[in-house]
Amino acid sequence: MTAQNPLSRDVTVMLENGLHMVPCSRIAELVREFPGTVSIRHDEKSVDAKSIFDLLTLRAPFGTILTLEASGQGAAHLVDGLAALFERNFEPE
Amino acid sequence: MHTKPGIAVSSGVAIGPAFVLGAEDFRIPQRFVSMGAVDAEIVRFRCAVENVCREIAENEKQASEQLGKQFGAIFAAHQQMARDPKLQGEVEALIRDKNYAPEFALSRVLGLYAQKLQNLGDLYKADRAIDLYDLEKRLLRHLLGERREELVHLTAPVIVLAHDLTPSETASLPRNYVLGFATEVGGYTSHTAILAGALEIPAVVGVGDIVANVSGGDLVILDGYHGRVIVDPDEETIAAYRDSEQRARSVAQRRVSFRSLVSETKDRARVWLMGNIEFPAEAQHCRDLGADGIGLYRTEFLYLESNREQSEDEHFEAYRKVVSAFPDQPVVIRTLDLGSDKMPATLSPFYPEGANPELGLRSIRLSLTDLTRFKTQLRAILRVALLGDVRVMFPLISSLIELRQAKSTLNDVMEDLEEQGIAFSRSIQVGMMVEVPSVPLLAEDFAREVDFFSIGTNDLIQYTLAVDRSNPAVAKFYNSADPAILKMIQMVVAAGRKHDVPVTVCGQMSSDPKFVPLLVGLGLRQLSVTPHVIPELKEVVRSLTIPQAESIAEQATKLELARDVETFLRGELNKLCPDLAT
Repeated sequence: MTAQNPLSRDVTVMLENGLHMVPCSRIAELVREFPGTVSIRHDEKSVDAKSIFDLLTLRAPFGTILTLEASGQGAAHLVDGLAALFERNFEPE
Repeated sequence: MHTKPGIAVSSGVAIGPAFVLGAEDFRIPQRFVSMGAVDAEIVRFRCAVENVCREIAENEKQASEQLGKQFGAIFAAHQQMARDPKLQGEVEALIRDKNYAPEFALSRVLGLYAQKLQNLGDLYKADRAIDLYDLEKRLLRHLLGERREELVHLTAPVIVLAHDLTPSETASLPRNYVLGFATEVGGYTSHTAILAGALEIPAVVGVGDIVANVSGGDLVILDGYHGRVIVDPDEETIAAYRDSEQRARSVAQRRVSFRSLVSETKDRARVWLMGNIEFPAEAQHCRDLGADGIGLYRTEFLYLESNREQSEDEHFEAYRKVVSAFPDQPVVIRTLDLGSDKMPATLSPFYPEGANPELGLRSIRLSLTDLTRFKTQLRAILRVALLGDVRVMFPLISSLIELRQAKSTLNDVMEDLEEQGIAFSRSIQVGMMVEVPSVPLLAEDFAREVDFFSIGTNDLIQYTLAVDRSNPAVAKFYNSADPAILKMIQMVVAAGRKHDVPVTVCGQMSSDPKFVPLLVGLGLRQLSVTPHVIPELKEVVRSLTIPQAESIAEQATKLELARDVETFLRGELNKLCPDLAT
């Protein structure tokens, strides 16, 4: 496997109640099948986006800026999808 | 030696070591597994996760459909928790590296997560921890196979002592290792008690504090005839019980000879003795005991056993088994009597218990609220009715409008089947349970609209005398011999006679031999009873004449107090069949 620089993008949490259980589960669901690694960083803390339990420990209330990071095949597409989820505020498409 | 009195709910004596079940839901049976078992244990864990995911998916679908998408989303989140790769990785690492049992590993890992989330403060309130607890319970339930963990690991015969057992736990007791059981709570007619009788496991309920006072392995005598638990008995007591065990066995053997005899009085009046069953497998057992049919098939146990929705074909298959044991005799299928203490885990989130569940959304009310489930069952009943003398019965009818709604739903289902070209029986008999005092009061009105009545004394007594049948503090006020109950039975029998509507009694009352002469004397010719008492009731019937029975009924109905009625009936039984009187 070749090491790649992770793709990263910043998103803002616009959910009134913060990144709570249901949105966390949407993220985990979306990235579950992704073969590479994908994490979400909040300041110094970085968690595995495939784990809802990890995501819950992010503590991301309304207005938090998070950094999405992914590497591996299809990382760009995945980051687009994740960012879109934040942009439409986790509403279904 | 000390003796704890309780309520005898299933006859028989058992002597053996105590096995004490904790009050908490799930205790971890063993913490470690052997090195060689690691791979198999990991597979077991993965299977449990798969099954839980399937169960959650079902909840999600139901919640989305019935309550809205936002409720479904909660279960979707649970689904992600169950599938969490980190959780799975950590649990499997503990099993592989530390030889933890999956149950132990799981509760360790989830415990740590719950703590972490709680430490995050008010952003994620402590209620997240409840979601984790729910997930843990689900996984443990699957790992432990629906039973209390300890019971799965029994290797020698024991007497189970527990605070309480649910009906489904009772149904899944490993019969070869459980000699009998006693519970701290519960009453004569709780469903656990009814099941114990059906399974023929000696049982005593409502014994009060016992779990904390008995250690596992203490010798215990469980007396299911007199309702006693004797802890640490002395030699003399043990000898006396061993002796009476012997005698009981010889009486039982003699009674086997009654199985092939017809149930009729000395003066040749036929009294049909039918069986009450919960599970299709019991039908054959009833036949072996010489039953004249199935007078009450409690179909809700289909749900309580499997904890999920049942398809039309699953209903049909279960009913077909029962009908095949009695192809030429009546099989009365009672529609779902869910709710109150019989609410399956799949439904409970949608129907929160009110302050008084016995007066809440239960039984026919629940069926009429959720017509999809009700119609699925009615379709199966109408189809199976082609195979025998199947009758359908609605439980807990309290008003004419309710009866008419149930009947019109049945008609709708008939029309659907007709349109779809599916074969079914149009001539099925339709009856109702008499369980709510409003029905005897208006019995004549109801009699005009049904083909048969079946008096469910358990609920009728509870509602007439306002006694919670599972509360030991008031259980003494629950009495089948109460003059008000006898009066109600008389009213129903009179209305039935006038309108040519047959009446059956199917509650626990009819399974008690001392009430048989009274009921026959009141004019009843059909009793539906706990299967294992059929041979002894047949003995009572065959020792009676109708004039004798009528005289017993006449005298009993003149008495003013339940206590006097009971004493009188016990005395009469003693004269008829001295063996049976207790």
